[in-house]
Amino acid sequence: MAEPIADLEALMRQSQNGDKLAYAELLRESAHLLRPFLAKRLNSSTEVDDVLQEVLISIHKARHTYDGRRPYKPWVYAIAKFRLQDHLRTHYADQLHHAVDIAELENILPQDVTESGLSYESISGEVHKLPEKQAAILQFLHQDGYTSKEVAEKLGMTESAVKVAAHRAYKVLRQRLER
Amino acid sequence: MTKNLEQLVESLAAEAATVTPAPHPFMLGLKWVAAAALYIVASLAISGLRPDLAHALHNPWFIAELVALLLVFIATAFSAALLAFPDLHQKRALAFSPVVLFALFVVLMGLAWHADSPPAPLPVHSWQCTLTIMLMSMLPAVWTFYAMRKFASTHYHWAGSIALLSAFSVGALWMRLHEVNDSIVHVVEWHYLPMLAVGLTGLWLGKKLLRW
Repeated sequence: MAEPIADLEALMRQSQNGDKLAYAELLRESAHLLRPFLAKRLNSSTEVDDVLQEVLISIHKARHTYDGRRPYKPWVYAIAKFRLQDHLRTHYADQLHHAVDIAELENILPQDVTESGLSYESISGEVHKLPEKQAAILQFLHQDGYTSKEVAEKLGMTESAVKVAAHRAYKVLRQRLER
Repeated sequence: MTKNLEQLVESLAAEAATVTPAPHPFMLGLKWVAAAALYIVASLAISGLRPDLAHALHNPWFIAELVALLLVFIATAFSAALLAFPDLHQKRALAFSPVVLFALFVVLMGLAWHADSPPAPLPVHSWQCTLTIMLMSMLPAVWTFYAMRKFASTHYHWAGSIALLSAFSVGALWMRLHEVNDSIVHVVEWHYLPMLAVGLTGLWLGKKLLRW
């Protein structure tokens, strides 16, 4: 049997009048309502929980901007969407910073390897000692000649994640080969 | 619900107290328009109206420009008020209505430019107008941002841009009623083109001042 739908507008009006129980109920119902919306757009349940917490705090901060005569859902979804975008922007900005550094390093690091007369075959022993995913990425990139984008598609990763993994692998290889 | 969320809900609920709901954005917009009107009247009382205003009002393009600028100001004031609310008070079309008015304003200025033949003489000054308009816009900009910070904008870039454009329109209106100048070239170049830079600055300022 479907759960009865709480009257969110009434709960919010009661909350604005200082009713603590109604407010707790409203926040629980809002979390319940928003979880699937966030889960569809985020990778992990930890992320969903983090953003959901942000959203609940935002509801608390902005509750005076809710007008009891309007529907509650568009108001709360606007806040959820806003916090989700904020989260994604921060998340991807971090990744982008990484990707820029890596793009620069990627140009340098493989050059160093080839300049010293090394080929993929000659270091394949070291490559196979790397974590499985990193080894597979290097094999696709340097033995099979795929681009980062193609590797990302093959392994079900994002292109920047492939670059990050390749960069880490180059670093480890370099340290090992310089020993 | 996870333990963390349940704890958060409990702590937020414990803080719940009676809150005064925010005023309707139309009331807010009306308040800003009224305050700006008073500001323009007071500023003109101090600085003086342009002495040839009666003559200038015989020029239909001047009247059209003033009306369009006034509409831009009113639309941006109401839009800024709507943009201060998370869901734009569920009046999305109205919140973005200044876009249409700006487009009309641009068309009108284009037509006025075309009709300015032979062109009216350029005044001797140039950038001073932009600077004066900006100075005149400072106070409206400060009060608009101050008021908007009390709410919760989920479109802070747009909100900042529209708020700053609204304040700049106040300065521009005052300037047109104060300065003796019929050169449409000058007006476009030094009064209205800077609005582009102002709009862009507003995007940045919105991010800095209206994030919550």
